[in-house]
Amino acid sequence: MTALAFGILLLATIVAYALNRHAASRLRARGQPLHSLVGHHAGFAALLVLVPVLVLILLWLGLQGPVISRLLMGGLPQGVLDGLDTGAVQLIEAEITSIAGGRIFGTPEDWKLAAAARLVDLRLMSGQMLLLAVSLLALALIALARHKVAPEFRARQSFESIVTGLMVFASIVAVFTTVGIVASLVFEAGRFFAIVPIHEFLFGLNWEPQIPIRADQIAAEGAFGWVPVLVGTLVITVVALVVSVPIGLMSAIYLNEFAAPRARAIIKPVLEILAGVPTVVYGFFAVLTVAPALRSAGAALGMDVSPNTALAAGGVMAIMLIPFISSFADDALSAVPRALRDGALALGATRAETMLNVLFPAALPGIVGGVLLAVSRAIGETMIVVMAAGLMAKLTLNPLDSVTTVTVQIVTLLIGDTSFDNPKTLAAFALGLMLFLVTLVINVFALRIVRKYREAYD
Amino acid sequence: MNPTKISACNVNVFYGASQAIKDVSLELADKSVTAFIGPSGCGKSTFLRCLNRMNDTIDICRVTGDIRLDGQDINAASVDPVQLRAQVGMVFQKPNPFPKSIYDNVAYGPRIHGLTQNRTELDEIVESSLRAAALWDEVKDRLRQPGTGLSGGQQQRLCIARAIATRPEVILMDEPCSALDPIATAQIDDLIHQMAQDFCVIIVTHSMSQARRVSDRTAYFHMGNMVEYGETEQIFINPREKLTETYVSGRIG
Repeated sequence: MTALAFGILLLATIVAYALNRHAASRLRARGQPLHSLVGHHAGFAALLVLVPVLVLILLWLGLQGPVISRLLMGGLPQGVLDGLDTGAVQLIEAEITSIAGGRIFGTPEDWKLAAAARLVDLRLMSGQMLLLAVSLLALALIALARHKVAPEFRARQSFESIVTGLMVFASIVAVFTTVGIVASLVFEAGRFFAIVPIHEFLFGLNWEPQIPIRADQIAAEGAFGWVPVLVGTLVITVVALVVSVPIGLMSAIYLNEFAAPRARAIIKPVLEILAGVPTVVYGFFAVLTVAPALRSAGAALGMDVSPNTALAAGGVMAIMLIPFISSFADDALSAVPRALRDGALALGATRAETMLNVLFPAALPGIVGGVLLAVSRAIGETMIVVMAAGLMAKLTLNPLDSVTTVTVQIVTLLIGDTSFDNPKTLAAFALGLMLFLVTLVINVFALRIVRKYREAYD
Repeated sequence: MNPTKISACNVNVFYGASQAIKDVSLELADKSVTAFIGPSGCGKSTFLRCLNRMNDTIDICRVTGDIRLDGQDINAASVDPVQLRAQVGMVFQKPNPFPKSIYDNVAYGPRIHGLTQNRTELDEIVESSLRAAALWDEVKDRLRQPGTGLSGGQQQRLCIARAIATRPEVILMDEPCSALDPIATAQIDDLIHQMAQDFCVIIVTHSMSQARRVSDRTAYFHMGNMVEYGETEQIFINPREKLTETYVSGRIG
């Protein structure tokens, strides 16, 4: 039924398009000066049919479930639902639904069988009514669109205002989705802060979220101070940036200014392959290659290196970030006008001087923006640290020690047996909210830096 | 004619397979203004860029022939293009000040070439260059502000000051007034007259009136050939070649 409704929609759209196109062409062929192009008349008709009918179908599909269920439950014999709570009523409805679907368990009461038969009827009726409504609306709209075709009709303006409306709608959807995500985070985090005081979370130096879920479990008392988790995240991020920023920038400078075309043609795609490696593969690399190598190197030097160091996780994350930083910097350098480069060279500047004194400062806003986006990525990166970083929250700045990150803790809090009214689970939302805030602040900061330099240079 | 500063002999320039300059030979006099004129695409800018080896920065460009500055072959292996460009300054079609302060724009050349010992000397070079470019009075109170904040004509004079500051012997100007209004153009014309007292100035221009106003000698280029070269008055009043006559009389180009 639904597929048929969409079929009618498609057909009606095409018909409306063709009809108006034909009508407008005929007017033009008769020598009447049209205000709008033939294509605008046709596009207007297609959108005039497509949008309302599509909205009708989607609304119908969304509302028919609740309406049918209301009708079904309201039509049950008197007294069968008396004294039952919501859960039991839902159970009965589910049973009727599965009987209607042909899956009968045991011997249901007669009134349930009757209700199932009624449900099948209701659904059929809804489908038929949908088809009827869609057909009628489509026909009416086709007629309306066809009626509008006239030399002086401003089809272009009407067409454009419908398209503008669609674009506004699309951007509103994007904004509201973000608002919804933030709202759910804030709501769940609020429930967490009702149990654990917010100052304890923000300033506490202990993170031991493994509290008992059931009363008879034996586990720690629990402590929810996020400082060690935050510090761990920052240590790994700093390690990642210390490695990736110099390598990324220098490779961008080399590729942009010094590399021969042939070298560039080989190196650039290879760098871009790095960007395409799934992060879980980087995780393998960190756990199986980098971490043991660091450990044996440390042992050779007589140092005690933990098996999952911040250095291994951060170093491998740096490899992931290199192509990111490099391609941002390369784009920013390429965007510097050739006139500036020529101006410096014509003054007798060497290529190195041109790069350092002229191109690099001019490209700085783009480069800084790229680096700060890389910071956001490093902070939010999950898979590499889940595999390579530790689980225990330890308050340390030593990159050779084992640290954990916000993302790792969110993952460990939410996998396994969870109940969503427990501080252990809710803590994940609080961490998520904090992660969101930190990244937001960095992004705002990045935008401000970019804008500031842009004002100074243009 | 003043003594020869630059002499070019049988210069050919190729962009990949196509030839942009065909067998051009001419001598450019010191302390005077020489104008290159001709229709778009005739190769005058390309030839100009041979004189400070800016064509080296274009991968597919190849230059043959003999170009000598004070008798020294500028394409010789022993010549460093960086040194050459310090001797042969250039001003471009579109003003291209660096995204730096006015002061730093002018001080850039002296700094990278180590022309000064201390801050005072650098200040002096900046001031004298800006004065020579007739810009000092307009910018002396805002030397620390970005050069990109100036008007188009001021930016172009800033670029001239920047070129003068490296103490070059030759100044190449590639259509320096094509992006400027008549008032700014008149200022630059005056400047070119001034500069001819100290430098060998070579200017590419699309404006025949400008060529007539500012230059001592004029070369007319057509389709990669140098058609005629002589005293400016002679080129404009009594051209020897038919092609030159049709161009300077305004019938083509």
